[in-house]
Amino acid sequence: MRKIIKKVLTELGYTNVEEADDGKPAFEKLQSAKSAGNPFEFVISDWNMPGMAGIDLLKACKADPSLKVLPFMLVTAESEQKNIVEAAKAGVSDYVVKPFNAQTLKGKLEKIWTKHSGSHAA
Amino acid sequence: MGAENLQPVNPLLDKRFVSAFVDGVIKTTSLMASTQVVVGKPTVETQFQAKGDVAGMVGMVFGQMKGTMSISFSKEAIFQIVENMLGEKNTEINASVTDAVGEMTNQIYGTAKTTLNQMGYAFEMAIPSVIQGTFTISKHHSGATLVIPFNLSNGSTFFVDITVIM
Repeated sequence: MRKIIKKVLTELGYTNVEEADDGKPAFEKLQSAKSAGNPFEFVISDWNMPGMAGIDLLKACKADPSLKVLPFMLVTAESEQKNIVEAAKAGVSDYVVKPFNAQTLKGKLEKIWTKHSGSHAA
Repeated sequence: MGAENLQPVNPLLDKRFVSAFVDGVIKTTSLMASTQVVVGKPTVETQFQAKGDVAGMVGMVFGQMKGTMSISFSKEAIFQIVENMLGEKNTEINASVTDAVGEMTNQIYGTAKTTLNQMGYAFEMAIPSVIQGTFTISKHHSGATLVIPFNLSNGSTFFVDITVIM
């Protein structure tokens, strides 16, 4: 999935992208980058991953004051109401259901950026 | 030979059950790999057998009903899909190819599961396994395997096998 996301992001003009195998190394990267003064600006995470799942990475970020406001998109094959509710309650910025095409991902990304910029401006 | 093993309540006889998987394949290959497929004629087999060089498999459980969904690809079929999906040309089954098989299995099952659960089933999501080579699964039950072929424009075929154990 990471290759697909990276290909779509590259096509959309996002070239400074880093990957992690699952939630645990991702969370460590997010914390390290923040501590180093070079924080990530956006997280796109699969829900189903071996090791730490995407929903748990989201919850970990929201529980960390330094990562709390980081825009976070979940990408998943879980499209049922209970999953959407769980992700919304956990504070996900938006949610893209697989399978999707590049335009859908682009639309969601732009929506999150707009929302995030707006909340910062306010 | 497999028909006598099917019970009236077997979901493989429910057109909506089967359509959920067919629609999952069409949607996944179209959206994620810009690949159009032509659905072939389904058949029933009494024993699951992988038909290609690499397969993704996921278990399905709902109450007393247990089953598996697998997708078997020939090299020609999966190489075309991966090329369309990632822009990569492959000549051997490597990690990139097996990742794509796992991801497609995950998405097709996820799409079908959502439709099925709206119909009243309660399947859970599971992480798929990817298997290479020729293999068979022996069973000691009254299950059957529905095999649905999907044809690609390069003349290759991949197969979705749905096995249900009642």
